[in-house]
Order: sequence, then structure tokens, then C-alpha cells
Amino acid sequence: MSEFYIPKKSPYDPDELGHFGIFGGRYVPETLMPVLEELKRDYEAVRFDRDFWAEVDYYYKNYVGRPSSLYFAENLSKELNAKIYLKREDLNHTGAHKINHTVAQAILAKRLGKKKIIAETGAGQHGVATATVAALFGLECEIFMGAKDVARQELNVFRMKLLGAKVHAVQSGSKTLKDAMNDAIRHWVTNARDTFYVIGTVAGPHPYPMMIRDIQSIIGWEAKSQILKAEGRLPDKVIACIGGGSNAIGIFNHFLEDKEVECIGIEAGGLGLDSKHGASLAKGSPGVLHGQMSYLLQDEDGQILEAHSISAGLDYPGIGPEHAYLKEQGVVKYDNITDKEALDAFVWLSQKEGIIPAFESSHAVAYLKKMPKDEVEGRVILVNVSGRGDKDMIQAKEMLSFGGAE
Amino acid sequence: MKKLVAYITTGYPDLEFTVDLAKSLAEAGTDTLELGIPFSDPVADGPVIEKANLLSLKNGFKISQLFEVSAQIASDIDTLWMGYFNPFYHFGIDRFIEEANKSGVNGFIIPDLPFEEAKPYKAQMKEKSLALIDFIAPTDPKERISKIAKDADKFIYLVAYAGITGSGKSEELSSTISSIREFSNTPVYVGFGVNADTAKAKAKGVDGVIVGSAFVKILLDDSLSHTQKIEKISKMAKEIKEKINE
Ligand SMILES: Cc1ncc(COP(=O)(O)O)c(C=O)c1O
Repeated sequence: MSEFYIPKKSPYDPDELGHFGIFGGRYVPETLMPVLEELKRDYEAVRFDRDFWAEVDYYYKNYVGRPSSLYFAENLSKELNAKIYLKREDLNHTGAHKINHTVAQAILAKRLGKKKIIAETGAGQHGVATATVAALFGLECEIFMGAKDVARQELNVFRMKLLGAKVHAVQSGSKTLKDAMNDAIRHWVTNARDTFYVIGTVAGPHPYPMMIRDIQSIIGWEAKSQILKAEGRLPDKVIACIGGGSNAIGIFNHFLEDKEVECIGIEAGGLGLDSKHGASLAKGSPGVLHGQMSYLLQDEDGQILEAHSISAGLDYPGIGPEHAYLKEQGVVKYDNITDKEALDAFVWLSQKEGIIPAFESSHAVAYLKKMPKDEVEGRVILVNVSGRGDKDMIQAKEMLSFGGAE
Repeated sequence: MKKLVAYITTGYPDLEFTVDLAKSLAEAGTDTLELGIPFSDPVADGPVIEKANLLSLKNGFKISQLFEVSAQIASDIDTLWMGYFNPFYHFGIDRFIEEANKSGVNGFIIPDLPFEEAKPYKAQMKEKSLALIDFIAPTDPKERISKIAKDADKFIYLVAYAGITGSGKSEELSSTISSIREFSNTPVYVGFGVNADTAKAKAKGVDGVIVGSAFVKILLDDSLSHTQKIEKISKMAKEIKEKINE
């Protein structure tokens, strides 16, 4: 293990044009193509560059608080008769894994001489993480957020503004992450020459899915050595929630070649798969949205359907293209968790371990209870707690009641 | 004579209107019609065309209706289908090609299907005598322009500025245009932000203009009756055609 994280080549790397099998690629207006070509070249130049990753590492250690700890969840383990380890991305500065890719992308933007950054956000975590690095590196920052999410994540909207970012409430379509990304792309097309688009997940046109996967893979790189140290063996299962798929691919990537490890990605089951949900792999079909080919929730005419999830960060009708490919190749298993199961797990982890997870991460935690007992008992299971639940307090308070103070 | 291409969104306010408008535009001297296929997430479009797309979908627009409408229009005017890639892909490129041949539609404009991804489809369309229009943008370096221009069919869609449709932006295009001319004899039409006021200037150095938002704005004007809308749009088309040929 080198002293700091540098991405590795992966057997699942896309081809020159960004294709993971039929998925991925670049489906964008022509104006952006030269910009993406340039970004691809610029990213390739730093992909394995020690100086670049040393600079990233400096901020990870001193600013973000990496490595994030791997916590042996004693009480969950007892209850489930298993060994449950939690990868604590919730402990990062700003409260989620999103800061990993905003730090690295901002350092890249700075190197490229771009002074303006933009981002889309669902839960607001990626928006906050982008606004944070904009403040840190002195960049101008504009955030696009669906009007519905602005309402349900008002604390994060305030945080972004406090950090000096401009927040656009996007009024079109379903007023959630999908529409925020539409408007971010529109802004990017208009300001292509001087603006760096800090995409918030492993989606979008090439090279974003590969670049953000490389960056986020620090999660699994750390977790692998941490669990080897703690247990002297690899985990049986690695579980993570999936919106676009960045925290999931981030923790999976360094385990994908270990055949004895089962990686499980959890999509938003919403109100159930026969009702409204965000399970694009389970219920969608291949199609093109936001610059990439992947699984999408769509009708028979190829119109994009509205997703639904209790968690704004999973409320998205698509998924990163590499996940679509890993699903078709049978490399990763995908399942889903409903709003209700997630909310139960939110309370469960809070009261059992004193860790309040984000609604998104609660989906991964909930899977511990959904799996058949014989899949859990006696196993070593690693769960990615992608973020903390502070941002969800207002929403949680509306849905949960613990009575008044005594 | 410089050419005029008109974009309209299919199915708003209704399908009958789309047919009447198309025929009236043909009479007004429009050379080519871009018949827009409404899409839920039109990222290359500004608020005007986005609104027309979403309203048409709200009206219940279905792709099967596009085929019906096109059969009534394509005999009167050179017609292309303009839409985002996902509906084409999901519904089936093969089926679209077959329907285009059946209804007399001459090709496709797909703004989120750049040159690299377009390759296999373009060949497939060409085999059935259908054009897939290539885009060139002012951000494109010469090397990329040469690749795209060499293979271009029917006309090259030159994007007037880095941005979305219907904004007031403008950019100096002369070096992009001369690069295109170096590699291709295919006519160059400029689109994005062309209206009655800007048409003459935008047509400088190119072979035609593409007008969308300026027409769709009238389409969306609730204070006008159907007949008034059609009259107003056709009058504007006539005016633009005259201006670009002054
Ligand atoms: C805490 C947390 N986890 C997960 C996600 C989902 O994103 P991804 O699937 O890219 O990890 C989000 C998105 O906002 C988030 O805030």
C-alpha cells in the first residue's frame, strides 16, 4: 500500500469513447464535445500522477478528515449475530462522501485555470460539498437544485448560501435532481469556455463516470486495508446505497476483483416497485439521459418518468453507466429498500449505535435486516454509511414522533 | 437563394394545428420543416421550446401521432424529425427509419447525438436515403470541424453561440465558417437565436437560417386564436426569408 491514494486501472475501465459495454459514452450538444475532449485529456494527464494525488491527499488528511474510520458496530453485530463494520463517510467534513469528489474536482478545475464551478444537487450534500471547496479554493460557485428539494432540504440551501454560493431553485419538470441536472447542463453549455461542471455522482458524459469512480474509490481502498487489519480477511459482503452510484462504486471498486466478496447496491424502492420509486436498474431499461447511456425509468415513448424516494439523493430516474454494466455482467448484485424500511433503519442505527445516518445511507443499513438470516449470521459485512442525517432532521421530525420532553 | 428552416413543436396546441401550420409555413416560403418531437428533458433548449415540449406531452402527445401528422405534412414540405436521442433509441431507430420512408420524411436532427455516437446510426439512415444532420459549434477546433464537415449530409447545422436555443447571445462565427468551407461544400445553416431582427446579420456568410424559439413563442401566446397564430408565424417566416435574401 502506497502512503496515499492513487487510482488504479480497472478491468471495468471504459473504452476510449467512454463506453462500459453499450453504456456510458457522450450524448451531449456539440458545443460541449470539445470541452469534454479537453477534460478527458486533462484528466488522463493526472489520473496516475503522484503530484496531483499528493495535493488531493493533503486536503483529504487535513481538511476532510480522512481516512474515515471503519467502525465495528458492536450492538448491531450482537443483534444480527454477525460482524458488522460501518465505513464512516458520515464523519467527513460536510457530512458525506461527496466532499471526496468535490475536493479532487476543484483541484483539477484550479489546475485548468477555471475560476467558476457549477453543480447540481439533490439532497444538497453535493451542493454543500461543492460550495465548500469553492470557498476553500476561491472559486465562483452556482448550484442548481430542484424546487421540491429546496423545500425539503432547506438547511442545506442555507448552508450553501452561507458558504457564498448562488443557489438556483429549478422549477421545471419534477423539480428534483433530474431537472437540476438539466439546468446545470444548460448553464454549462452556455458557459462552456470558463466553467467547470463538478458533477455529483458517477454519471454524465465521459470522462465523468470514470473520473468520479476513480476519486471515490478511496473509500474502498481505505476500507479494504482497515478490514484486513481488523479481521485479517476480506468481508463477505459490501453494501451501499445508490442514487447515481458514487458512494457505492467508491466502496465496491477495490473489491470487484475479489470473487469471495459480494458487492450489493441498494436502489430506492420508494413506495414499492409497483408504485413510485427510484429503482432504475430493477424497473428501468437502457436509454440516454444527461449525457450517458444507462438504465432509465421511462415510458414506452422514451419519455423520462419521475422517480420517488424519501431521500432526495436517491430520487433520480437514472444511474451511473458503470453500474448498468456491472449489473449486466453479473459482477454486482442490486436490490432495493422502501421508504419505510429506510426510515426504520434510520431510527434503528440512531438508537442502537448512536449514529444518525443520512436517509440515503439508511437504505444500505436497512438491507442488513432485509437479507435472509442465513446470509447474515456469522458473516463479516461492510456497510457504507455515505453520510450523516443532520440534513434530514426537519423531514424526519415530520414523519417520526417520540412524544414530548418529560 | 438562402434557405429558411422552421422548427415547430409537434402536438401543441394540438395535432391539427401542427398540420395547418406546417402547410402555411410551406406556402410562406419555408424550405425545410423541423418537426420537433416533444421530450421530457430537452437540455439543448431554452425555456420557450422546453415549455412547448412539456405542454405537448401534457396534452398526451405520443410518437404514433408524430407518424400520422408527418404523413400529412411531408408531401408539402421537405421535412426532418428533430428530437432528443432517447425517444428514437427507446422506440427503435429501425422503426423510425421505416416510418420516415413511409411518410416521406427526409431525415433526422438529434442535438444530443454527436458525431462519434452517431456513426452507426448515420450509416444505417444513409442506406435508406435519410440524412442525419451534423452539428458544428463555435467551440469546435479546426481539427474536429474537418472530421465532422467531411461527412456532412444535406446541410450543416452551425450553432450560433455556446448556449441553448432562444437566448439573445451572439458570437463571431467567421473563422468557424471558413474552416467548414475548407473541408466541405455542404450548405451551412445557422441556428439558435435567429428571429426577424437578427436573421439578416446571422445569415451573413452562410446558406440559410434555422428559426425555432421565435416561432414557438407565438405558438405559446394564449392571447391569440389558432388562426391568428398561424398567420403571425407564417408572416414572420416570410419576412425572415426576405430579409436573409436582401
Ligand atoms: C449521503 C448521501 N448518500 C448517497 C447519495 C447518493 O449519491 P451516490 O449514489 O452518487 O452516492 C447522496 C446524494 O446526495 C448522499 O447525500
